[in-house]
Amino acid sequence: MKVSKKIVLLGYFGVGKSSLIRRFVENTFSEDYKVSIGVHIFKKNITIPEKGTDVSLVIWDLEGNDDITNTRLSYLLGTHAFIYVYDVTRPATYKNLENEINFLKEKQKNTPITVVGNKEDLVTKAYLKQNSNDFGSLTDFYVSAKTGDKVNFLFSNLAEALIK
Amino acid sequence: MNQDERLSILKDILLTDEREYAQKVEEKLKIVEELVNKQNQLSDRVNPIIEERLNDFVIEIPKTLGPVITEALKSEIKNSQDAVVEALFPIIGKMIKKYIQQEMQILSEQINAKMNNAFSFEALKRKFKSKRTGVSEADLMLQELVHPIIEQIMVIEKGSGIIISEYSKTQAIDEDMVSGMLTAIKSFAEDAFEKENQELNYIEYDSFHIHLQNFSDYYIAVIISGSYNALFKSQLEDKLLDFAQNSINKQDIINRDSFSEKLKKHFQ
Ligand SMILES: Nc1nc2c(ncn2[C@@H]2O[C@H](COP(=O)(O)OP(=O)(O)O)[C@@H](O)[C@H]2O)c(=O)[nH]1
Ligand SMILES: [Mg+2]
Repeated sequence: MKVSKKIVLLGYFGVGKSSLIRRFVENTFSEDYKVSIGVHIFKKNITIPEKGTDVSLVIWDLEGNDDITNTRLSYLLGTHAFIYVYDVTRPATYKNLENEINFLKEKQKNTPITVVGNKEDLVTKAYLKQNSNDFGSLTDFYVSAKTGDKVNFLFSNLAEALIK
Repeated sequence: MNQDERLSILKDILLTDEREYAQKVEEKLKIVEELVNKQNQLSDRVNPIIEERLNDFVIEIPKTLGPVITEALKSEIKNSQDAVVEALFPIIGKMIKKYIQQEMQILSEQINAKMNNAFSFEALKRKFKSKRTGVSEADLMLQELVHPIIEQIMVIEKGSGIIISEYSKTQAIDEDMVSGMLTAIKSFAEDAFEKENQELNYIEYDSFHIHLQNFSDYYIAVIISGSYNALFKSQLEDKLLDFAQNSINKQDIINRDSFSEKLKKHFQ
């Protein structure tokens, strides 16, 4: 069986959304598409042997926005799962975390949201512990697009959850 | 006191004052004159310096202030990207419309030019064929240029851009990504026409024509190579509408396989 799922990545400029996707996916829609419409589409097939299912993740990389309410809402329609990314080294990218997540929940009801703190490679475990209050209970885990830590886990975990 | 004496006294009174006055005025004039001279001399010396400085300033400003301004503009645009896009939307929309109108104009002129060449044997043949089939001569001519070929048909869920069903003669492109991109482009363009509440129904990509037929929960994208003309468009529309109305029910939208089966049957 083959199913396709739409995944949308959101988060501030420069938190590493495109880097995370690039880590995970090798093929992309031709870059020479002249019109910039503020989104890039990627795709990755994942096989889940236990289910005998092939999942095509169609990943929408929305160009960063320093305010989620400015996101083009039509791009959020029909999303099967969101990945919200912030940068653990830049407080500005997570200080509004709760509001941003609430906005998503309101606009796209019943859609799971995975929250990750990226650039984990730049900080120590102690730092993450110390600041865990700021990252809040919303954070699911920390990743690094640079080292690749937990990047595959992030996407494959999502794929599995989506076909349950 | 005789007449002369009186006159002398009067002269004295009048002229002394006048002379003194005249002298004072003369002195003042001299001062002013000197001042003016000095200033002239000064400006003779200063003007070139100022001019040179001004020239330097004009040359230097793009080097020194330029990057600062560019940087400020860049970050301003970056920070208010949506505002910029919003501002550009109506313009882009109008540009697209204008472009299409222009292309149509060019096309119809070309056709007219060919039609005027009415005495060729080809044209005569076309005339008979047009009479026989009821298809306009212009459309026949277009068909002669390049036959339209349906390369791929994709049924795409609105919003998510996920493929519901797909039919192609040759599997060449990644339909998941194309359908996502088409959906994104469609949303973007439709936002541009928001006020007119239009739905995008045509995109050109590379040498392909992409016909978009909109239904409520999904849309059908037909990728065509060759010439895409009004006759073909109208036939295609009829076929798609007929398919959606008579072949497809709600179940098919959930069940990809049955949808694909029907699609294949209808368009083979
Ligand atoms: N050290 C480090 N740098 C990263 C990581 N992820 C992204 N970056 C850098 O952060 C910058 C912004 O990344 P990008 O993917 O363009 O961010 P986006 O705007 O969210 O798409 C780039 O210079 C990346 O090289 C990471 O995990 N660790
Ligand atoms: Mg990016």
